[in-house]
Amino acid sequence: MEAVAEIEERMQRARRSFDDLKAEMARMIVGHEDLIEQVFIALVCGGHCLLEGVPGLGKTLMVRSLGEILSLSFSRIQFTPDLMPADITGTNVLTDDPSGRKIFEFQRGPVFAHIVLADEINRATPKTQSALLEAMQEQSVTVGGKVHRLENPFMVLATQNPIEMEGTYPLPEAQVDRFFFKLLLQYPTRDELARIADFTTAGPPAALREVLDTPDILQMRQWVRDVPLADIVKDYAVRLVLSTHPQREPGSEAAPLAQKFVLYGSSPRGLQSVILAAKARALLAGRPNVSFEDIRQMVLPSLRHRLILNLEADAEGIGADKILSEVVERVPEVS
Amino acid sequence: MSSEAETLRKKLAELLSWERRKRREQILATLFCYALLAALLTLPFHGFLETVISRWFIPISFFGLMAPFFLGRGRWRSSDSARALARVDKTLRLDERALTAWELLERNETRAAALMVLKQAEEKLTNLDPKALFRRSWSWQAYCAFPLLFLWLGLLWFDVGLRFDSDLQLSAPKSVAQKLREFSRELQEKAKNEGLHESFRMGRELEQVAQKGIDAKTGDEKFKADLAGMQKKIATMGKPAAEQQSLSAAESQQDLRDLKAELEAARDLFNIADAAKGAQELGKQWLDQLATLPQLKKQFEREGQAGQSLSQNDLKSFLDKLEKQATGELDRRTLLDAQQFLEQLRKQGQGEKGERDVRIAGQGERDSPDDGERTNNRSNLPGKEPGKREAESPSLPEFQPGAAAHLKGLLGEGNSSGLVLKAKPSAGKSEVSQDEVIASYRRQAEVELNTERVPEVLKDTIKNYFLSLGIGEGAK
Repeated sequence: MEAVAEIEERMQRARRSFDDLKAEMARMIVGHEDLIEQVFIALVCGGHCLLEGVPGLGKTLMVRSLGEILSLSFSRIQFTPDLMPADITGTNVLTDDPSGRKIFEFQRGPVFAHIVLADEINRATPKTQSALLEAMQEQSVTVGGKVHRLENPFMVLATQNPIEMEGTYPLPEAQVDRFFFKLLLQYPTRDELARIADFTTAGPPAALREVLDTPDILQMRQWVRDVPLADIVKDYAVRLVLSTHPQREPGSEAAPLAQKFVLYGSSPRGLQSVILAAKARALLAGRPNVSFEDIRQMVLPSLRHRLILNLEADAEGIGADKILSEVVERVPEVS
Repeated sequence: MSSEAETLRKKLAELLSWERRKRREQILATLFCYALLAALLTLPFHGFLETVISRWFIPISFFGLMAPFFLGRGRWRSSDSARALARVDKTLRLDERALTAWELLERNETRAAALMVLKQAEEKLTNLDPKALFRRSWSWQAYCAFPLLFLWLGLLWFDVGLRFDSDLQLSAPKSVAQKLREFSRELQEKAKNEGLHESFRMGRELEQVAQKGIDAKTGDEKFKADLAGMQKKIATMGKPAAEQQSLSAAESQQDLRDLKAELEAARDLFNIADAAKGAQELGKQWLDQLATLPQLKKQFEREGQAGQSLSQNDLKSFLDKLEKQATGELDRRTLLDAQQFLEQLRKQGQGEKGERDVRIAGQGERDSPDDGERTNNRSNLPGKEPGKREAESPSLPEFQPGAAAHLKGLLGEGNSSGLVLKAKPSAGKSEVSQDEVIASYRRQAEVELNTERVPEVLKDTIKNYFLSLGIGEGAK
């Protein structure tokens, strides 16, 4: 009974923390409630996010605010074509030790922070982009043959601009797959725009309060993994992921759009992402188990960047979101 | 296991048991519907069954045949339980707590997080009444089942299947043994109704012989050879009856039946009078009543006792004697029919002709149970109405002297019989004149008229008929 009470307390704490986070973020960011929730889910799941949106929608502000509210260290890297890997990871510099001898000392790069904002990540060369690869996957960097552990929690929030494609280097599929979520920032509504005007032009910016600290986040990461998931619900997630594949297993549900426009379906990382995110969503909602709705809600952010579409999809203007929406619509909860 | 888990397990078991029960009911209703539907569709073939009673078991048979398929297809699976629980979650907005709890219970999970799920699910499901929440809903098969049942019973009641089959059987070729079996059953039924012991016994023997032939799948030719023995046996059985009977052979079968019926009536009257009045009054009353019983009166007159005052014992013995004679005569004639039928069966095999002969002979008395009642076909309209000659009327079929053209049926046993033309009509102009044809028919009729098989009362009618056709004596 004590254990049950502890779990109940844990769920209440998680929910309260999330409510506080949302309230604090609302003081700085207008709208984007879903986006904030999804970024927080990615954080408690130990994942990274790729934010896509036109300039000026508050991507950078949101990430910086998140860092402040969570009392996590924050660094920003502006990706440009001449940015070098060492500019991200850090490098060994020659220096004098106290005895006057010359030694190499590792100067940590901006990647050594809890939250790293990789602004306009697609502007850097693939070589530089790949420097983030090890950091994102292994949570460590190797410089001069020596492995340096990154902060824990560590989260990369990369942004990219979907319209200015000239002079950019699209992220390779392997790197895109390492992002837990791909989040799309929508243009604010009329009311939201009016509120943004009030926030930014009338008075000084609000001071943000810390609502969570590092141990809290690490604890929540553990709690997320403890959330029970029924096999039937898991099977639903599996079938959803399978349905994104044009070459599906015999007998699995067919998704005509996926069949027609998808070159490669979601990787197994997509399934991991959906399930883990669904667990986090259940926890943040104060629920002890994962529901079908949790799975459905996490399909788009988890899988949209993992579908590789063919040229026909480009030509007909069919996006991954449309295909995934059809998949969600067609796949029954219980087979 | 905690009490919450135990309560929850019971509640979920109750829910799933209710859903299973609904599924079973649905399957049974579907099976019932399809079995009845199949029985209705196969109704035309019910007549092929050995016994009439077995028609009632047809839906049960279909039910049994289809049951494994439907029960197999609709068996309760784990996914059905999951689906049922998902429905509970949807209905009660439990966010899959019931479903998750069910799985955790199955896995006997004891983690704190799992216990939390069980606790919350138990709280939400405690007051669940599955029967109230998920009421029965019937499919169209269930709604159709009872109307189909009533329809089937109705059709069975009116023997639709058998009627259809009797039509079907006329056109379907049958083996000699099957025909014999059919005939023997009819013979038994007729003999039973009329109290003809010898005929009934013979009917049973014939059925046994036919059944053996069917079971052994004996060929028609071999079976015909076996029939010769039966034919002899019938002839032997018919002889004593013929010796004993003293009723006129000219009495028609209908007359004999009427006589039997009148004897029954007379016996009833006799019994009532016997009990109510004295012996002296019996004779007087008996004579009064005799006027209403024409056949009996005829027999009395024949015996010369009509005007006599009979004693009670004399009357009884006379009635007994008459009944015995009438029954014996009917028995004899029935056996004669059977003998003829067997003869025709043996001759069968020379193509369509023999087939048709047998069929008509086999129908025999059955087709005209009331002698004198005429059906409207071309072959049995002799006598009173000569008919009209029309310019456009089709020419008579070509008569061939060698072809079988003869009087059908037992001429001595009814008020009417038929002339059946066995030659096939062929297209084109007739080469034989109508006068020649009629003259030929007339000659044959005259031959038959000289035998005792044509009743006396009909002889004049037949003569008049041919005279009315206007053929002169010279045409003979």
